[in-house]
Amino acid sequence: MAKGYRQAPGKSGDKKRTDGKRVAGQQDFGVPGSGGSDPHSKLQDLDYVPESVGGWKKQPRGPHVHDRHVTGMTIGKSVPLVDANWKMTGQAQYGDDIRLPGELIGKILRSPHHYALIKSIDTSNAEAMEGVFAIATGQDSVNKFGVLPVTKDEHAMAQDKVRHVGDLVACVCAIDEATAIEAMNAISVEYEVLPSIHDMEDGLKDSEHPIHDRGKYHIGESNVQKRVFQQFGDLDGMERAPYRHEADWETAGLHHGFTEPHAVVAHWDPSGRLTVWSPQQVPHYLHRALSAVLDIPMHQINVHRTFVGGGFGGKSDPFPHEMCAAILARKSGRPVRINFDREEVYWINRGRHPSRIQMGVFADDEGRISGIETDALIDGGAFASFGHVTTYYNGVLHTAPYEIGGFNYTGARVWTNKPASGAMRGHGAVNSRCAVEVGIDAVSEQMKVDPMTFRLANLLPPHSRTITGFRVTSTGMRECLAKVREQSDWDEKFRNLPLGKGIGVGCGFFISGSGLPIHWDPENFPHATVHLQCDMDGGVTVHTGAAEIGQGSDTAVAQAVSEVLALPLDMIRIRSKESDTAPVDLGSYSSRVTFMNCNAAIKAACELRDKVMKAAWEITGYNPDVLVLGDRRIYYKHDPAIGVSWLEAVHKAQADVGSLIASGAYRTPPMGGVHKGAAAGLAPAYSFSAYVAEVDVDVETGFVKITKAWAAHDCGKALNPLAVKGQIIGSCHMGMGQVLSEEMKYGRDGHLMNPDLLDYKIMSVHEMPDVVPIIVESNDPEGPFGAKEAGEGPLLPILPAVCNAIYDAIGIRIDELPVTPDRLHKRIEKHCRKLGINDPLDLPVPRFEAGPLQKKLADRADEHAKRDHLRDIQEDRSSYVNGVLFGFDPDKPMAEQKEGWREAVVPTPKDLADPSKRAARAWGHVERRHRGDD
Amino acid sequence: MLPGSGKETWNAVVNDENHEHLIESNAILLDVLRDQAGTLGVKRGCDMGTCGCCAVLIDGEPRLSCLCLAKEARGTNITTVEGLADGHHLHPIQQCFAEAGGSQCGFCTPGFLIVSAALLDENPEPSRDEIKCAIEGNLCRCTGYQQIVDAVEMAASMKRDGSSPPDATDPKSDPHPLGPDDPSLPPGSSK
Repeated sequence: MAKGYRQAPGKSGDKKRTDGKRVAGQQDFGVPGSGGSDPHSKLQDLDYVPESVGGWKKQPRGPHVHDRHVTGMTIGKSVPLVDANWKMTGQAQYGDDIRLPGELIGKILRSPHHYALIKSIDTSNAEAMEGVFAIATGQDSVNKFGVLPVTKDEHAMAQDKVRHVGDLVACVCAIDEATAIEAMNAISVEYEVLPSIHDMEDGLKDSEHPIHDRGKYHIGESNVQKRVFQQFGDLDGMERAPYRHEADWETAGLHHGFTEPHAVVAHWDPSGRLTVWSPQQVPHYLHRALSAVLDIPMHQINVHRTFVGGGFGGKSDPFPHEMCAAILARKSGRPVRINFDREEVYWINRGRHPSRIQMGVFADDEGRISGIETDALIDGGAFASFGHVTTYYNGVLHTAPYEIGGFNYTGARVWTNKPASGAMRGHGAVNSRCAVEVGIDAVSEQMKVDPMTFRLANLLPPHSRTITGFRVTSTGMRECLAKVREQSDWDEKFRNLPLGKGIGVGCGFFISGSGLPIHWDPENFPHATVHLQCDMDGGVTVHTGAAEIGQGSDTAVAQAVSEVLALPLDMIRIRSKESDTAPVDLGSYSSRVTFMNCNAAIKAACELRDKVMKAAWEITGYNPDVLVLGDRRIYYKHDPAIGVSWLEAVHKAQADVGSLIASGAYRTPPMGGVHKGAAAGLAPAYSFSAYVAEVDVDVETGFVKITKAWAAHDCGKALNPLAVKGQIIGSCHMGMGQVLSEEMKYGRDGHLMNPDLLDYKIMSVHEMPDVVPIIVESNDPEGPFGAKEAGEGPLLPILPAVCNAIYDAIGIRIDELPVTPDRLHKRIEKHCRKLGINDPLDLPVPRFEAGPLQKKLADRADEHAKRDHLRDIQEDRSSYVNGVLFGFDPDKPMAEQKEGWREAVVPTPKDLADPSKRAARAWGHVERRHRGDD
Repeated sequence: MLPGSGKETWNAVVNDENHEHLIESNAILLDVLRDQAGTLGVKRGCDMGTCGCCAVLIDGEPRLSCLCLAKEARGTNITTVEGLADGHHLHPIQQCFAEAGGSQCGFCTPGFLIVSAALLDENPEPSRDEIKCAIEGNLCRCTGYQQIVDAVEMAASMKRDGSSPPDATDPKSDPHPLGPDDPSLPPGSSK
């Protein structure tokens, strides 16, 4: 490179070939091409190219539709995140790092009451203060918004009443923070305090002042926000089942605990357009909400996603403070920046729902799971947020990975006067999955079968349909279980460890992208769109709206493009930040980005590739069918010496067609049943995981330490193993926090007691055990290069694995989370009293003795393993239907099924008869529109 | 920030550069660094010393700038994450954090980099437990720490080898490879 870098391809092709081989096309190729049998341009990394297209990579689960796009460039290789160096050098700009000239600082006045009517607000004193530029109250913004269109119940600031401590009342912007705080304190508000609701069971009752009014859709006069009922399969079989475990779970609310507090900057530029900078997981939904709240068209708004300092679902709502910043900036004519302190982060919340879950797991005398019965009451706090979906997810995500005979779910979400709950990593599935897996463990204990064997004998095969109609494509569940069993020495340790030491297993199942977009008509609009642009420089710019929140979405999409085009990663540039330049992508939620965005990116890259290949055809004279894309070179398959460089082909293509652009989109295939709620939990693919955890329990203090975890996750195909491992370990960290120490504690008067990182106990490095991440690749037929999600699913199994390990250690079944020492100590005391033992060190430890079913189930598991392998590699992709094991015939209509096989989404009075079932009480109310009084 | 009792001048060396600012007498170092010295790489996570995102080196010692009055650091030598790299040559710890997956969302990363860099200055061959003790004051919500500890181990060995990360401004992939003489092609490619 001594002569300086030359951008244009050289004209060095004047040498004629002398080796007697065919000279292709019009031009000859001195550059490059040795012409020999060891051509330098043979750069495809065959170790990474699948067998089905001539590479060396083994495909135990058969070929994939994307195999022919594999060039061996980046997919499957561990690469650092493409934006890593920005973060390493402190140059990554997060919300609070956006500093505009002339900025004002905004502050929000929050409610000191749980529930109160606002009688009056006097802002005159604050307005008169020097340095104060604008003040806004609820009257400045009356339009509603909310992330789900069916439950828009939020305002920028409280309209007539405040619904929780910390609810927004007014906002002010001033020259600096000190002035803004002073002005905020000078606003006087007169309240009339209303009786508040803090216990979720109180939310089920009729109330004089329901927290929200949904008009004719309001459920009675109660605070029930959403109720769900689903009954599928043979419920009588469940009632008859000889092996039964019923538990009543109580799980605490959780916060995401991301390290970056919320922050937003809003600026109306001189042309009258609004730009909002915000660390957002769903910039598109913020875009929509801003438009609705501010009464301006969407094209007048540019939503700029900054670097996001952790999301985990906590930044996936449009937020009222984002509206406030825009309103203040409009009023003051200056850019406004609002950044939260840590306490405010907890007031806005949207974390995991506190829940009370009654879970029944039943098995019959053949060792089949005759059914799962769930009654889940979840505490939504003051707003709907994602709650509509959460209410479904608490039940419908139990319908796999096991084949079940019956499914009986009642769910309800209530409003209470707490900060709103919402979506958090493992959305809705985490608490109830923990209860299911502990139930499975208990049932296998009753039938004297190893819980591993019990699970392996009851798995749904690949390409199956769950009892509620989800279409499961690939599943690596069996392999996950086998791997953790082997690596953890399960067979030696299970029920063989001394008192205080235990080992447990848990499984997980999660959606890989929600099949239904939140806002958009799935028939007409794509879920993800990617634009590519290639110019004189030969590099490729990717325009995507996928929100990079640290999970590596920018890297994944860059890898997908780099793989198809056989370009090094450094030649791919990602532009994903601004709604002005990015095509619509629905955002980073429901673990959808890798699956949907990379699929769109592959499509776009294929279109670009075809254009470049056509140019290469014209240069070389070889049809693209016999041309191969190698590292920055396109060459003749049978003589790699004949070829053309990427840049030359790009220049030729530009000469022929002008601009070189391409775009691709992804939408989910039509799926699912037709019953009410059939779309909740539908996904184009599902991830599976199985974990084993080992714990030490101090029986005298109730202190639990997790000593090691083996975490096998089926992510379809690890596009970037480094990032997948990071997600698995990170998920374990979050799940272990939930099971052992994290909770949002509310005091007796309903006040949040720990809105800070000192008392909200996230695991530090010392509590974090060694986690062995194990990647299982099931090669999903529709995933990009076979990939599925790896962001949320890996969280689920760690909770039940730990709970089951605690049982193995001390013989106590956990039904309350988190398992803090005080709680467990009480349980140990109670347990000792029951057994008449004085010293907890004398507690008996559960031991395992295989019953007659063990052999039978082990045989069935082996048989099913063969069945599954065949289903994996066969070409027929028709679904195995859940229930066949129980005599259900998928070819017959419902009426002709075996007696008792049911499908119902509305309860009968008999279903609600049990007064101890909580969520069922929500169905005791009649919707106002059905009462006949209005 | 609460209203102060008056302004005073403050000076310190921040990343080898002399800084002199007029600050409130009760100003917190974190605010001065972010709002006045312009080192936005120092992150505000909790304002109460629980998350470690705001760690900086004061005369080589890791300190939490949110718990430090600016006055206390007057006249000292402060290093923030912006001061770790040598031009476009990253510090080994920065390179290794990127390569080992020690950073996902990246918000806690500046704090981790600062305390790990201080550890490596003091102890060139730390054990995994020593690394854990060095980063115990920092919270990370994404990685589960495992890859962070890996990264510090990797950086320690890189530092011991004396190898240094490449210059980020070195030429990247050539879209028009020259052929057998192209240095970007793997060895043995040419005849």
